Order: sequence, then C-alpha cells, then structure tokens
Amino acid sequence: MKPSDTLRITLETGEIVEQQADKTLLESLEAAGQEVHFHCREGFCGACRTKLLCGTVKYLTDPLAFIDDDEILPCCCVAEQDIKIKLL
Amino acid sequence: MKYTTFNHNTTNPLSEPMFFGNPVNVARYDQQKHPIFEKLIEKQISFFWRPEEVDVSKDRIDFQGLSTSEKHIFVSNLKYQTLLDSVQGRSPNIAFLPIVSLPELETWVETWSFYETIHSRSYTHILRNLFSDPSEVFEDIVVNEEIKRRATDISKYYDDLIFVTQLWQTQGEGTHVVNGTKYQVSMRELKKKLYLCMNSVNALEAIRFYVSFACTFAFAERELMEGNSKIIRLIARDENLHLTSTQHILNLWARGKDDPEMAEIAEECKDQAEAIFLKAVEQEKQWAEYLFQNGSMIGLNKEILCQYVEFIANHRMAAIGLGQPFDVQSNPLPWMNNYLNSDNVQVAPQEAEISSYLVGQIDSEVNADDFGDFDL
Repeated sequence: MKPSDTLRITLETGEIVEQQADKTLLESLEAAGQEVHFHCREGFCGACRTKLLCGTVKYLTDPLAFIDDDEILPCCCVAEQDIKIKLL
Repeated sequence: MKYTTFNHNTTNPLSEPMFFGNPVNVARYDQQKHPIFEKLIEKQISFFWRPEEVDVSKDRIDFQGLSTSEKHIFVSNLKYQTLLDSVQGRSPNIAFLPIVSLPELETWVETWSFYETIHSRSYTHILRNLFSDPSEVFEDIVVNEEIKRRATDISKYYDDLIFVTQLWQTQGEGTHVVNGTKYQVSMRELKKKLYLCMNSVNALEAIRFYVSFACTFAFAERELMEGNSKIIRLIARDENLHLTSTQHILNLWARGKDDPEMAEIAEECKDQAEAIFLKAVEQEKQWAEYLFQNGSMIGLNKEILCQYVEFIANHRMAAIGLGQPFDVQSNPLPWMNNYLNSDNVQVAPQEAEISSYLVGQIDSEVNADDFGDFDL
C-alpha cells in the first residue's frame, strides 16, 4: 500500500493515527500509544465504545454490545475511509 | 393476566413488547423482533465450560502460604460472589420468565441463568479444594453482616417485582389486601418495578463483581491462586455478555424501540436508576474497606480499588445514558484488562487442564526429593 493510500484516524484532540493493515482500529490506536479502554476485544462487552464523528468503518465481526448510532467498537472494526473519532 | 405455559391464542411475536405482552407460546426463532438476543444465546453457548476442567490443586498450597489478611480477602470475595451467583442463578428465571413475551428473549433469560448456575458450582469446586470441609464458609454467607447488607439491596428489586407480578397474575389490576397490607396493582406500577429491577441487575453485573475480580487478578499477578483466576476469567467473560444483554434491554426501552410506555418510565425513573448505581458504587467501596480491614495485599489497596470502582461505574453508567458522575479519567488498574480479554481465555483442552488430560493431578509437581526414601 502506498503511503498516500493509508487511511487516517483523526482524534478529537487533533492527533492523527494511521489505520494499519492487518490490524483492527483498536490495535492501530494502541500501536500509536493511545490509551483505549477494552475488555473482551471481540465485540461483545462494549468497553471500547468510541464516538465516530465522521467517516465510516467496516466490521470484521458483528458487534454484539450495545452501541449508539454514532458509536463504533474499535476492537472489531477497521476504518473504511479517513475517519474522525472521539475516545470516551 | 393469568400465566399460561402454552398460550392458545394466535399471537404475533414481532409486534409483542419484550415484557408484559402475551405469554410466549411457540418457541420459534425463525423470525425475531430483537435478533440481538438470539445472537447473545449463540455467543453464550459457544462459551460453555465446566469448573472441573480447571485444575485448582496448586491453589491449596498457595492458599496455605497467604497471610491472614490475604486469606480474609480471598475467602470473603468468594463468599460475596457465591451470594451474587446464588441470586442470579434463580432470579432472572423467576422474575422475568412469567412476564416475557418474546421467544428469543425467553430463551436468552434461561441461557443466562443456566450460566450463573455454572458459576455457583465453580465456587464449590474452588472451596472444596481449599478446605476439607467448606461448610463454615457457605454457612457464613447468610449470617455475615457485611454480605447480608448487600444481599438486601440486590434481592429487593427482584422480590418486589416477583410479588406484584404474582398479585397481578392471580388477582388482576386493582387494590388487593394481603395479610392486612394494601397493595395497588396497576400495569404502570408493574412496569416501573420491572424497570428498576433491570437497572439493579445491570448494576450488579456491571459493578458489583468487579471488586472481587480485581482482588482475584491481583493474586494472579503475583502468580498466586492461578487455578482460581482461570475460573474467575471464565466467569468474567460470561458476566460481560450478561451485562451486554441488560444494557440492550434498557437502551431498547429508553429509545422507544420496544414498549412506548417503558420509554416514558425510563425518563420518569431516571433519578431512581441513577441512585441504584450510586448505591452499588458506595456499597462496593465499603466492601473494599471490609476486605482490607486487617491489612491490604501487594499491588492493591483500598484507595486504588475504590478508584477502579468509580472508573468502571463511569463507563457502565454512560453506556445506558446515565452520564459519568465520577472524576476518574484513566484506568487505575490497567492490568485488569489483560484478564478480561477473551483472547486470553484458553479454550483448547490441552491448554485448559481438562482433568482427563492430567495424570495424577494431585501430584501435578514431582521433585527428585520425592524419591529420596526409595530403595532398590
């Protein structure tokens, strides 16, 4: 993947993290040193619930935990385009 | 409305509310009003485990090496968890099944309760290994003041709902006198009791378990009581799923995606729901104080544990729209996440110490000295 193709995850604080290939959104955030709350990492507990401010994500496994319409579970999704999120 | 085990009226489960509609007749899952409950059933079943699969024999040696204050922490937590799962193993069935109206939710409640009974059996498995006669531990659960105080708050919302449901199902709405006490029974009142009960269950699985989880995993961080920690990890994974189910129920109500009257009640009783959570937090902090009354343990003290309770409460309350009342931003016990991560729960038989894979599991460690008095 050319660097220009890399998807960018912008945090509400202005920091920018790259969506890494073969990594979930949660793993990409962790690799960049962001502290994200998590438990199950499989989409059923909801501990990593995060606000999606703009852009879309693609789920690798169906999330079972309750999430609001504007929220995502980073443990089981990847960015589909450049996104902006707010860690809760 | 009288309960019937097989409702002869034709009902449309797709237009029934989750509770207080028609009793369920056909247990069918080809069509679902709220498919999430069917998904939770599948996930829960995939988590099946048996306490006997986990070898806890090494824990006995570890336990004997613990200080008196650490033994108090360990045994007290097991007593409290035994209480929690005793309540949870029966109450969702008794309280929710008589009033449930969707087949997928009915089966979820049954599946959920069944797993709580696995948890209860696992405490016996752990305690039998630590004490030749665990009776004293079990008997203390109903007389220990610290545990009793919590038991009252946990069971009262269930008991309230169960009693009024019984009145409604036998006598209908209206004013009824039972043993000289007057009770007003109305659908609105029943639904309020259900709403508060569901919040209390949510708080139980969201917050109440976590003080004992933290202590268990703090022992495991020191490589102590690891068999016990393996069991508690399996329990924590199940509890996370149960928590998700009650969060779904509460959010479906609050967002008007189920019974419109429940959306009104959710708004009306928000303060009471919040109070249930805040009381649970308060009681857990008092529990931490009781645990550490004789001295704390390495890696954990009352202050950190109380901060952790607040941190968890913030997350759990925010998940059901109750805001974040506490001022704790980062996780005071970050290592907890490693134990709550389901990837770390080992499931392959050869890894999970299924007893049939172990030969002579009492002597799982044999030293050269053991053969010292052998003569050939």
